[in-house]
Formats: sequence, structure tokens, C-alpha cells
Amino acid sequence: MSLLPYAHALVARQDLPIPAWLFAWGASIVLIVSFFALSVGWRKPRFEDENWRPLRAGLSRALLGWPAQVLCGAIGVFLLGVAIYSGLRGTEAPDRNFTLTFIFVTVWLGFPLFSVVFGNVFKPFNPWRAVGRAVGGGFAAIAGQPAARLEYPERLGRWPAAIGLLAFVWLEIVYGVSGGVAVGLSPHPAAIAAVVYSTYTLAMMALFGVEKWCERGEILSVYFGMFAQLGSFGTKEGRLGARKPLAAAGRWAAVPGSVAVVLASIATTSFDGGQEGVFQSAMFDTFDWLIDVGFEATASRRITSTLFMALCFAGVALVYWIGVRGMATVRGAPSLRKLWTGFAHTLIPIAFAYLVAHYFSLFVYQEQAQFTYLLSDPLGTTTTDLFGTASAGVDYRLLSANAIWYVQVGALVIGHVVALTLAHDRAVAYWGDYRQAARSQYWMLAVMVAFTCFGLYLLSVANS
Amino acid sequence: MHRTKRGIALLLTLVAVAGLAACGSDDDETTDTTATSAQSTTGGNGSTANGKQPADNDQPSIETIVVRNGEPVGGSAELEYDAGEQVRFRVSSNEADEVHVHGYDIGEEVPAGGTATISFPADIEGIFEIELHGSEKQIAELRVNP
Repeated sequence: MSLLPYAHALVARQDLPIPAWLFAWGASIVLIVSFFALSVGWRKPRFEDENWRPLRAGLSRALLGWPAQVLCGAIGVFLLGVAIYSGLRGTEAPDRNFTLTFIFVTVWLGFPLFSVVFGNVFKPFNPWRAVGRAVGGGFAAIAGQPAARLEYPERLGRWPAAIGLLAFVWLEIVYGVSGGVAVGLSPHPAAIAAVVYSTYTLAMMALFGVEKWCERGEILSVYFGMFAQLGSFGTKEGRLGARKPLAAAGRWAAVPGSVAVVLASIATTSFDGGQEGVFQSAMFDTFDWLIDVGFEATASRRITSTLFMALCFAGVALVYWIGVRGMATVRGAPSLRKLWTGFAHTLIPIAFAYLVAHYFSLFVYQEQAQFTYLLSDPLGTTTTDLFGTASAGVDYRLLSANAIWYVQVGALVIGHVVALTLAHDRAVAYWGDYRQAARSQYWMLAVMVAFTCFGLYLLSVANS
Repeated sequence: MHRTKRGIALLLTLVAVAGLAACGSDDDETTDTTATSAQSTTGGNGSTANGKQPADNDQPSIETIVVRNGEPVGGSAELEYDAGEQVRFRVSSNEADEVHVHGYDIGEEVPAGGTATISFPADIEGIFEIELHGSEKQIAELRVNP
């Protein structure tokens, strides 16, 4: 346990692996649901049109008008500032410093949750977007013309974000290893990373335009934006509207690199789950081998983790590729390339289910810290008690092991059903002919069953 | 039609694989445990694991974790309880230190050359580290099953 520490050093408690009987039930339900799904398949696509309709103009103005934009942007910039400041000036104890919990738990795990329910809520709070727009607006006001922009090369698509996503998680759970006690990334390097990333992001925004970079390259915007596609609220031409849940996801993956973003999301969560159980002994062996070869301990840990994270990505991509290859053999199939991007959005629910399954308890526990002592004493130096909650603690009795297990398995099963729904719908749209569409879906069904059962398997051998 | 069959065959293979994986997980657990304790000794003076057995709730003898120079002798111990039981273990150390049970947030001083007995009800389910504050080394892992 102590050999390969991970970012969960934040929490003093780890989940128990799901018991064998629950694994069996989970897997059985997944299979039964899947066969049922094959028999009830609908014949006309239902999620190709998101059926967007505007909400009341007053509501739209209130939430999207400039006072709200300025306020949300200011909150975002302020919180980023607090995170950087506490990281630089605060304690190096990961669990006592505002920075780590805020970045890696509250923001990184919280926004996917809110995005799935409400849509793209990160956009107004994005601190870099706020700064970029303020600077851009200021420049335009003084110079009397908007700043010159480079044309964003569309071929790059979301690739910068996909690579950034891998880099982000690498920094979080691979780079931050330091032997002995589990400590993940420490607050100071996290703050430095935030400064570097802010500089890079603002530079890219200056080059390609604020909104363009948010849509294509800014890691958090693209990642949270992906989950927001499942949500039932979205904006069009500056107006807020309601839409059919899940339906917006269908067009999301058309931009190059999007497939890599969703695959990276599943792969990184798999790796984080797997290193606590499934991959543990293989990782020990690799680590030992590297030590024998002559690498020092930290380098060996990083190389081992990097290797296994890359293997996860390759494995997840391979499973999806097999599904796509399989679908291509069904008569009347569109081109491989169209299938490859056309079904990528069906993996978003799986990615979300993986997140919930692996981080649900971490989120619930750590948010207690976030809203009590980390808020009152962000530096963790016991010098401030802003809200009188500096001496509060995390109540680990809040969730029973059973409650956590049911949420974990429930999330995977629901994610599976939603993924199958989207895949079937897309197949009906692509093939037109219902029978061929159903035939193509044996392949996607196999892909989804593989991902869901692997997810259950990861949970069943966690922390062994 | 044969494509349909092929699809179903593939699916059944996957199910079989998943099933086997589930059955195999019990065996894996034991191997992993050995790997963990073997690993933890490498940081110390290279002494091999001797006589450190995983706790199996045998009431008469209390699990004693022997710490030498801030390192658990024989590697990190494993304590396993069901919720509601009383956790009870001893830590003896040649140096003064403080034993800290994460999650339960229980701290107990161990005097140099002395022994501390730690006892509390297992009322939070999950897996918790037990470490030394001074040397920051994990000396045991506590598992509380529902």
C-alpha cells in the first residue's frame, strides 16, 4: 500500500472492495439489461435532435447578462488566486491545504457532476476565460479594434485538450509520488503547476481567441464541456434554453480529437482504480525490475505508473476500436472514420459512471473538509479561522460501506444503460434499416459490457 | 444470420472472462498481501518478514506491532474487524513516537522502549492507515468490514 502512493492521500479512509456477491449481481443485471435492450430497440432515432427551446428571456438575461458574467468570472479568478496563494504560502500537508482539495476534488470532480445535471456551468466561472475577455475587452476599448488573432488550425481539433487531460492526471497521480507515506502531489508544486498552466492558457487565448481556445484546448473547459453534453440545459446565440437530455452529445465528437478526450477520461480513471488493486502486483514487479536495472526509487515509480497509464489508454482505445471494426462489417455500414467519431459520445456516460464509481466517497468526505476547515483556514497554518470552522473534522461515519457500494454499482449500471441507449439510437440513424442497426449493436453491446464489467472488476479488487 | 451468432458468441466469451476474473480475485488478494509486506521491508535493514501474521481476530493474544527505529519489523501489519467489534492492538517501539489511526483520528504516545495498547470500537467502515507520526511510516492497515 505504501509503495505506490496516490492522490487519495487527501482522505484518511479508503473504500472497501465490493464483495463478490455484489459483483455477481452487478454483472448479471448488466447482462440482463443488455439483452433486454436488444429486444426493445426503437426504429427511429430519438436523440439526433436535441429539441432546444429557449427559456424565458428574463431568466436568460439574469443568468447570462453581463452582471452575472462579471460576478461569476470574478469568483473564478478569486478562487484560482486563493488556490495558488495557499499552495505557495500554506502548509505542505496535503490534507490541510486548500489547494489540493479545491483543484483535484471540488473543481475536478464537482464540475462533471454539475455539468451532467445542468449543462456547461464551468463556462462562466472559468477564470482564464474571464481574464481573457476582460483583457480583450480592454484592448478593444483602448485600441478601437479587436486584437488580431491567428486562425485556429481545425485539424488540431480537441487534441490539445486530450493531451492536456492526460498531462493533468499524470501530474495528479503519477508525478506526485514521494515514497513512504502516501502524499500524491504536494500543495507547492500544485500551485506552481497552476501558475504555469494559467500562463500557457492565457497565451493560447491571446493567439487563437478566448472562446476558440476554451472550445478546443483549455483542458477543464473541454473536459467539463464533454459531460455537459449530457445535461438538459444549453445556450444558443446567447440565450439559455432547455433541451432533451443526452441529445446534445451526438454532435460533440465530430471535432477531431474528441474521441481521444473521452477515451483518456475512461483510461485515467481506470488507471487510478487499477493501481489500487488490479494492476498492483504487476506494478510491483515492474517497479522491482526497474530498480534492478538501476533506476532510483522515484524514477522507477514514475516510469511504472506512466507505463501503466499508457497501457490503460491503449487498452481502452483497443476495446473501442474492436467495436468500431466490428460494426464496419455489418452491411450498409458508413466509413470506419465516421463510425469511430460517430459512436464516441456513447462512451461519455461510461466515463461519468467510472468517475462516480471511483470518486464518490472521496468527494463526499473531502467536501466536508472543503466547506469547513479548508475554508476557514485555507493555508492550513492555523493562523486564520475565517468562518469559525477551522477545528471541524471530516465525519467518516456519514456513509456506510454498503451505501458506497450501491452507489458505485448503481452508477456503472445506469451509465451502461444510457450508453447502450445512445449507441442504439446512433445506429438506427446511421443504418436506417432497423435490422442492420440492431446487428451492428452486438458489437457496441460487447464494448459496453466489457467497460462496465471491467469497472465492476476494478471495484471488486480495489485496495487489496 | 451467422453474424448475429458471432456477436452472441463474443458476448458469452466476455461474460465468461468476467466471471473467471471475479472468481480469481480471491486468490489474487493473498498474493497481493504477500507482495505488499515483502515490499515494505525493503526500506528497512533488509530483514525478512518473520512471524508477522495477518490478524485473524483470535481473542486471547493481542496483535503486537514491533517497531524498530521507526520501521515496523516484518512490514506493515493487517488488522481486520467487523463493524461493532473492538479494535485492540499493541505497538512497542525502541524510540518514542506517536501512533496515529487515520479516519478514527486516534493518537497514542509510545515511550522509548515501551508499549502502547490501543483500543477503540470499530464504528467506521472502510480501510484506514495506521502510521507513526514521527517517522511517518505506515505500520498497519486497518480494515473494518460492514
